[in-house]
Amino acid sequence: MRTYEIFLKRDGQEEYRHAGSIDAPDDELALLLARENYLRRAEGDLLWMVDRAHLLIGDRDFVAPNSDKPHRDNDGLLVAAHRKSQREST
Amino acid sequence: MGRTWSSMDDFETFLDDGGMVEVDDDMPDEYRAAVFRFIELHANSELMGGLTERDWIPMTPGLRHKMAVLAKTQDEIGHGHLLYMVAADLGVKTRREMLEDLFAGRSRFHNVFHYPARTWGDQVAICLLVDGAAVPSQKAVYKDCSYGPYKRILKRIIAEEGFHLRLGEERVLRIAEGTDAQRAMFQQSIDDWWWPALRLFGPDSKPNDRLARWRLKSEKNEVMRAGWVQKFVPMLHGYGFTVPDPGLTHDPETDVWTCGPIDWEPLKKTMAMDGPDTARRIAEASAAWDSTRWVRDALDATPAGAVA
Repeated sequence: MRTYEIFLKRDGQEEYRHAGSIDAPDDELALLLARENYLRRAEGDLLWMVDRAHLLIGDRDFVAPNSDKPHRDNDGLLVAAHRKSQREST
Repeated sequence: MGRTWSSMDDFETFLDDGGMVEVDDDMPDEYRAAVFRFIELHANSELMGGLTERDWIPMTPGLRHKMAVLAKTQDEIGHGHLLYMVAADLGVKTRREMLEDLFAGRSRFHNVFHYPARTWGDQVAICLLVDGAAVPSQKAVYKDCSYGPYKRILKRIIAEEGFHLRLGEERVLRIAEGTDAQRAMFQQSIDDWWWPALRLFGPDSKPNDRLARWRLKSEKNEVMRAGWVQKFVPMLHGYGFTVPDPGLTHDPETDVWTCGPIDWEPLKKTMAMDGPDTARRIAEASAAWDSTRWVRDALDATPAGAVA
């Protein structure tokens, strides 16, 4: 028995989304079980499945350094403050 | 891998700040055990409910409703499937261990699945009153649920339970417009199912309820129960049926209906696996489990790495 992760996508611009998981002995039955458990009302137009053992996982520690990179954002506040002070001084 | 917390206080502060727990987190053992028990009970109940639903497929009147019962049965079994996956990922028991415990009578399922459905009227009452209690209960868990995998699966389950509830409302309309014999049958079903469905919410919540503390429940049992009474008493009265509660009161000023004293003994009996239909239900489920052993054996025998 293998565990598969299920991703569904609707047509259009939406990305694939994780829907859940399912146990199945092989790929063929995994697809069938996924359709009957996660797509009974056509909740997606496309289905991706991946054996959990094949998932590549970047965990929180791996991702963490990028949660502290404020120089990659620009909220525009500096320019706004400068313009405001210019307006008020004229 | 996941996050760790140095103490329960630390963990509870994380929850108080709206934190969501994920499966790879090193959650406290008590929290893991409580979440697991809660989801296992839910999964067992979906499965036992689905098996009763299945019994009624051949007896459901009319093609439209028969097809709806087929869909509802598939939904309930599907919900069991999804929930057993989420529960198994907590690493307390495997899915097969959960099923074996259920069919051996070692683990619990909700009180309403310990009673026999004798007539079509009973099925209508279940679809209205039991699903009508399950939906607000599940919504209250979903609303602020701290365990991410359960919350995400609940969203799907609640949407489908909504179909069942609307099906129940449609069935009630049909039976209310039926013959005198049909109306009498349904009145009997209300009399039999009113209290079990009401007791599904459980006794009043305790102030130190850990499930509330850990954001698995976001509403008190008594509040949900009162909302249920307020919804279904006027609906059933409106169709000309009565509710079997001599202590039921109505406040004309606020238009609020309040139920009388509740006898909790039947709930205790079902939780002790001693309800009116407990033995038969478990025996049937267990027999189905045994008779399908060959399927599991065939699946287990599939060589690893087999590709479609």
